Amino acid sequence: MHGRVKVKSTAQQEEEKRKEREKKLKIYVAARDACFSKRKEGVWDDGALQITQQLLSSNPDFGTLWNYRREILMHLETVKDEDEVQKIYEAELSFLESCLKVNPKSYGSWHHRGWVSTRLPRPDWARELGLCDRCLNLDDRNFHCWDYRRMVVKKSGVPVDRELAFTDRLIGSNFSNYSSWHYRSTLLPLLHPESPEPLPSPRRPPPRSSPPASPQNHSHRVCEAQLLKEYELVQNAFFTDPNDQSAWFYYRWLLGRAEREEMISCVLVSREEETVTVAFSRPVDPGGLMLLLDGQPQTVEWRSVHPRFKHSPVWICDLPPGTISDVTNEHNLTVHWMERHAHRDCALYTGRTESWCRDSATDQELFRSELSVEKTSVLQSELQSCKQLQELEPLNKWCLLTIILLMRALDPLGYEKETLAHFQTLREVDLMRSAYYSDLCSKFMIENTVLKMEYAEVRVFSISDKKLTTLCHLDQLLLVTHMNLSSNQLQRLPPQFSMLQCLEVLEAENNSIEDLEGVFHLPRLEEVLLKNNKISTLADLRPLASCPKLKRLDLRGNPVSGLEEVEAALTELLPSVVDLLL
Amino acid sequence: MGTQVKDVIIKPDAPSTLLLDKHADYIAAYGSKKDDYEYTLSEYLRMSGIYWGLTVMDLMGQLPRMNRQEIVDFIKSCQHECGGVSASIGHDPHLLYTLSAVQILCLYDNVDALDVDKVVEYIKGLQQEDGSFAGDKWGEHSSQRLYSIYDSRLHPSPQGKIDSINVDKAVEFVLSCMNFDGGFGCRPGSESHAGQIYCCSGFLSLTGQLHQVNADLLGWWLCERQLPSGGLNGRPEKLPDVCYSWWVLASLKIIGRIHWIDKAKLRSFILACQDEETGGFADRPGDMVDPFHTLFGVAGLSLLGDEQVKAVNPVLCMPEDVLQRIDLQPDILS
Repeated sequence: MHGRVKVKSTAQQEEEKRKEREKKLKIYVAARDACFSKRKEGVWDDGALQITQQLLSSNPDFGTLWNYRREILMHLETVKDEDEVQKIYEAELSFLESCLKVNPKSYGSWHHRGWVSTRLPRPDWARELGLCDRCLNLDDRNFHCWDYRRMVVKKSGVPVDRELAFTDRLIGSNFSNYSSWHYRSTLLPLLHPESPEPLPSPRRPPPRSSPPASPQNHSHRVCEAQLLKEYELVQNAFFTDPNDQSAWFYYRWLLGRAEREEMISCVLVSREEETVTVAFSRPVDPGGLMLLLDGQPQTVEWRSVHPRFKHSPVWICDLPPGTISDVTNEHNLTVHWMERHAHRDCALYTGRTESWCRDSATDQELFRSELSVEKTSVLQSELQSCKQLQELEPLNKWCLLTIILLMRALDPLGYEKETLAHFQTLREVDLMRSAYYSDLCSKFMIENTVLKMEYAEVRVFSISDKKLTTLCHLDQLLLVTHMNLSSNQLQRLPPQFSMLQCLEVLEAENNSIEDLEGVFHLPRLEEVLLKNNKISTLADLRPLASCPKLKRLDLRGNPVSGLEEVEAALTELLPSVVDLLL
Repeated sequence: MGTQVKDVIIKPDAPSTLLLDKHADYIAAYGSKKDDYEYTLSEYLRMSGIYWGLTVMDLMGQLPRMNRQEIVDFIKSCQHECGGVSASIGHDPHLLYTLSAVQILCLYDNVDALDVDKVVEYIKGLQQEDGSFAGDKWGEHSSQRLYSIYDSRLHPSPQGKIDSINVDKAVEFVLSCMNFDGGFGCRPGSESHAGQIYCCSGFLSLTGQLHQVNADLLGWWLCERQLPSGGLNGRPEKLPDVCYSWWVLASLKIIGRIHWIDKAKLRSFILACQDEETGGFADRPGDMVDPFHTLFGVAGLSLLGDEQVKAVNPVLCMPEDVLQRIDLQPDILS
C-alpha cells in the first residue's frame, strides 16, 4: 500500500500481467481455503504448519494464520518433549527471520516472534539481541525492531548503561538517528535521575505514589552533572551536521524544565461578589476541594469560569449571602485540596474588600529556572557557539530557534530585544511555520510581561505592539484589573480569557478580533475598548451580555458598527452600557 | 556537509483540482474486483477497507452508490460468538475490525445489526492490568487499541456503556506512552509516531483528558512534519505520505493548533497525489492508488476547509452529520 510506483505498460504487457495474477490468485485461494478447512476440522499437524508457512511467507499480515499457527504450536507443546519443542520453536524463529528479511515492518511477524520467545523452553536472548542489531543496522528507524529490542532487554535484564552505550554507538555512526536519541531520553533518567524533590510544604503536595511515567515529570529529568555532559554530546552532533534535526529536537528537551507540580497558586476572596476563587498550577478537577471559613467547613459548589472547561486551572465558589459581606468583620479562609493533601490560607482583614494570597512567578520558577553557576557558564558558551554557527549557516532554522531557547533559559528579560529580532528572521527563513513562530514569540512576550509585573504593578498587564497572535498563561492573571493588548494581531479572546475575574478595563484596539467568547461572566468588567477590530455580527457581541457592570464599549472601526439598526440592538443586548461608541 | 531533507518533488503537471467524480467512480468500482489478486491478499483487513471506502463516499455525498444490504449482511456474518468482529468471513475477531464494523454501522444508522452487549463484553475482556487493551486474545498491547475501544464503545450508546471499562487505568496507560517530544508511541518507551499520536489524542479527547497533552510541544513536533513539498511525514526524516495529511492534521486540530501548518502548500501536495486516470489517491505523487489513501486525502482536504466535501470530525474520522445524529461531540482544544 505504500511506496508502490505506478508503472505504465503496453496492452500486451497488461494482458500478460493479468494472466499471471489470475494464476497466482488461484494458487493463493486454494491454499487459503485449505488452511481454513483444516483449522475447522481441528487439524494441528505438520501439514498445517506447512501450508500456513507458505501463505505467511508472502503475506505476513494475514493475522488469522498466525493465530492458527499458534494453536498448532501450543498443541504440539502438549504432545512433544521439551527438546522437540525447543527444536520446533527454533525452527519457527528461523522461519520468522526469513519473513522479516522480506518484510521487516510486519506487525504480525514481530508479534509472533515475541510470542515464540516467551514459549521457548530455553530462550536465547543474546540471539534476539543479535537479530535486533542486524535489523537496526539495515534500518535504525524500524520502530517494530526497537520495540522488540526493548522487550528483549526487559526480559533478559540487560543493564541500562549497556543500552546507553548502544545508543552512543548508533548516534556516532549514523545520521537520521531520531530513534536512538529517543531511546536515550528514556534511559538517561533511569541511570541518572534528578535529585529527590524538596520536602512537601502545605502548598506543595507530596509526590504521588505512582506518577504517570512521562519524561515531562520531575521524576524523569536528569541530574545536572549528567545533563551538562549530555549537552556536549548533542552539541557535537549538530555542529557536525547542522541539518540533523534529531539532535536539535533532543536538545530542546534538555533545555526544557520539568512540568510544574500540581499546587494551588492563588486564592482570591472578594466581599462584594462573595466569592472565593482558586487558581491551580495545572487544569484540575475540583473534586476534593474543601473550603473552611473561620475554621468551619462550608458547603459550596465549585464552578468553572467557562462552560467549556471541565478541567480548569481556575475554580470559583459562591459563599452564602452575607457570610463575608460585612467589611467590619475579619475572616480567615482555608482552601483544602484533599486529594493532594495541600492547602492555602487567606486572611480577609477589616476594611478590606478583597484579599489574596499568591506565590510570585519568580518564586514558583514559573518562566525561568534558577541556574547553577556551572550550568550558566555551559549554556553561555553554547549560545556563543550557536551564534557562530548561525553566521556560517544563516538559513538554518534549527540554529535560530535554539539560540532563542538558550536566551530564554539564560535571561528572558535581558535578551528580549534580541529574541524578537531572531523571531523575525526565523519567520522569514521558515515561512511554512511562521504562524508557529508568531505564537511562540507571543508566549514568550507574555511570559516577560508577567515577569516584569513582579517588579511593578501586579494588577496591570500591558503588552502593546508586540505582534501578539495568541494569548496564554491567562491563569496567571487572576488578579489583573487593567489589561492593555492594543496594537497586536489577536483574532480572538478565547474561553480561557474568562479566568480574568478581576478585570475592570480591557484595552484591545487595533487588533483583528472577531471572537469574544472569553469575555464571559467577568463580574467587574466596566470598559471594553475594541476600536479597529473585526467584530462583524451582533452574535459576536453576545458574550458581553454576561458582564453585569459593563458601562463603556468602543466599537468604532468594526464591521458591526456599520450594520443597520445596530445601536438599538446593542441597547437591548447590553442594557448596562451607557457609553457606546460606534 | 550534512544530510539532505528527504522529500518528493511535485511535477508542474501534477493534478491541482479536486477530481471528486473520479474518486467516487474508483471507490464504487473497487468492491467489485473480487477476482483480483491484490484485493484478495488484503482480505485480512477487509472490514477496515470497507470502512475507508464508505466513509470517503459519504464525505463526497456518494454513499447511496454502495450496496448497503450486502455490507450489513457481511458484517453480521463476521461477528463471532465472543462478540468480536473479524475482518472477513472465516477470519478471527480483532478489536480493529470490531471498531471498523461499528463505524460502518454508524454511517448506516444500523448499529443494532450487531449484538451490542456482546461487543461491549468482548472489548471489556481485552483490557489488561496496566490499563492497555490487547488487540485480541493473543496479546499485542498498543495505545492504538485504546482509541478503537473508546470509539467503538461510544457508538452503540453514548450513555452508560463506558463504565464497564476502567477508564482511569486506560488514561494512565496512554499518558505513560508520552515521550520527551510531547508525542506518543505504541507502548511506554516507544518512539513518537503520528499514527499513535492521533490515536492517543483521540482517546484523550473522548475521555475528556486533553488538558494532559503538552499542546505547544506536541504541536511543534507535528507542524515540523511538513516538508518543503508541502506534504506531511509521520516522524522526522521520513518521506511525506498523504495519509499523514490525516493523522497529523487531525491531531493538530484536536489540540487546537491546525493553523501551525501551511494549509495552501499541504493542499497542493494532497491534490498532487490524485491519479487523473484511475481516480483515487496514492501515498505520494506518481504511486499506485488505494482506498486507504483516498479516504485520508479527502478527509485531509475536508479538515483544510474544502467546501466540496462534507465536514469531517477530526476525532472519529467520520462525517460530522453522522456524529450529530448520535449526539456525539468530543472535546477539542481551542
